[in-house]
Amino acid sequence: MRPVSVGQVYGSLFAGLMLYMLPWAGFGLMLRPDFVLLVLLYWLIRTPHLCNIGTAWFMGMLVDLAGGDLFGQHALAYVVPAFVAVYYQRRVTLFTRWQQLGFVFGLLVIAQVVLLILKLFSGSEVPEWSYLLSSVSGILLWQLVIYSKIKVTGEREA
Amino acid sequence: MEHQQTNFFVRGPSPLARLTFFAAVSLVLMVVDARLHYLGEVRQGFATLLHPLEIIATSPVRLYRSIQDHFTTVESLNQETQVLRDKTARLAVDLQRLPSLQAENDHLRQLLEARQAMQQPARMAEILHVSRDPFAQRIIVNLGSQQGVLAGQAAVDGAGVIGQVTRAYPFSSEITLITDRELAVPVQVERNGLRAIAFGHGRDNMLDLPYLPVNVDIHEGDKLVTSGIDGTYPVGLAVAIVKKVERNVDSPFAHIICVPTAGTDRHRQVLILTTMPSAAIPLDEPHPLPKKKESRHHAPR
Repeated sequence: MRPVSVGQVYGSLFAGLMLYMLPWAGFGLMLRPDFVLLVLLYWLIRTPHLCNIGTAWFMGMLVDLAGGDLFGQHALAYVVPAFVAVYYQRRVTLFTRWQQLGFVFGLLVIAQVVLLILKLFSGSEVPEWSYLLSSVSGILLWQLVIYSKIKVTGEREA
Repeated sequence: MEHQQTNFFVRGPSPLARLTFFAAVSLVLMVVDARLHYLGEVRQGFATLLHPLEIIATSPVRLYRSIQDHFTTVESLNQETQVLRDKTARLAVDLQRLPSLQAENDHLRQLLEARQAMQQPARMAEILHVSRDPFAQRIIVNLGSQQGVLAGQAAVDGAGVIGQVTRAYPFSSEITLITDRELAVPVQVERNGLRAIAFGHGRDNMLDLPYLPVNVDIHEGDKLVTSGIDGTYPVGLAVAIVKKVERNVDSPFAHIICVPTAGTDRHRQVLILTTMPSAAIPLDEPHPLPKKKESRHHAPR
């Protein structure tokens, strides 16, 4: 596996943030995958020594700022799946493709559920099921990444 | 894999320790931001730093729009001119009556010894983007505190009230739409002057009129206008049309749903009324309205 530079990690995280900041609206907003979290998970699984829970927290804060949300909402919503990803990082490298897809989908849903709980506490209504579409589109994007032969976990690709 | 082994043991604090630390920091930040409002200036500073990024991120859409504008056909322009001409003609008729009505109104107000209603200066702002948070009904516009926009000012369009400026950054500001759950607009039924508070519905493009008794005198099709009681919105701006009134026997309150008249989700430009929201202005005392008891201003939600 080629070593990854810090520039690559932060460059891609920045690109993810820019994608997030595109003016999404309406149905596109519902479908919008969580780009920043996807990039974070990719690096968390691939190079946990360059991108760790602290990075996830920092990116979450940036997302909160860009979205004008309460400080710390996305930060917390990113820290929790980041923890799970780091905790199981050694095992993920042994997963098959479908196991990995399931794992990442679970992480995306965890982030959305944490965010939902925080939103409910601050007085929002329970959204419809289409709320989880963002995780689905996220996992499709992840699958695209794997098909485009960017190796997430290196050697064990089937 | 051999190469990675060297990194195996130098991972710093354990993941659980990091999780606990960062989760605690996030929770503290959330509480400080939500309850104590200490972080307003921090947010403003960072928002200024992020502003150029925002401009870059929204540029593809603006480019697309400008190209679209450029290739508008003569036909559609002609159509638009026709529509605007019709509208001007109709408005001109109304406008002729306005000076005399205004004079009459001033005179009547003098007789009542009421405060003179003042003119509202306004600024045209362009919408940069809508909120990225699917839970909130907000828009970001391109005028900020550098251009004299302050939090608390009202935003309107040609058809009625859109919302209120809730955060003013140096070069942009955030307008919360009247359809957001957190925004309440004091309104009056135009037909009979009944006062009420309209709350946003949150998800869809609707408004609620809660806490009104079942036998309240509101029908479908009634027009709601701002009552001006809060000092934020000028009197008489259209807010919404009553769409549905449900009177259930098992509920003490009528269930009233309204549709905003303003294009809260359609336009590219909004007008921001740039007078300072004047909470200190005393209300006009003699109010020639029905003496129906209205619900409390800040009823708990």
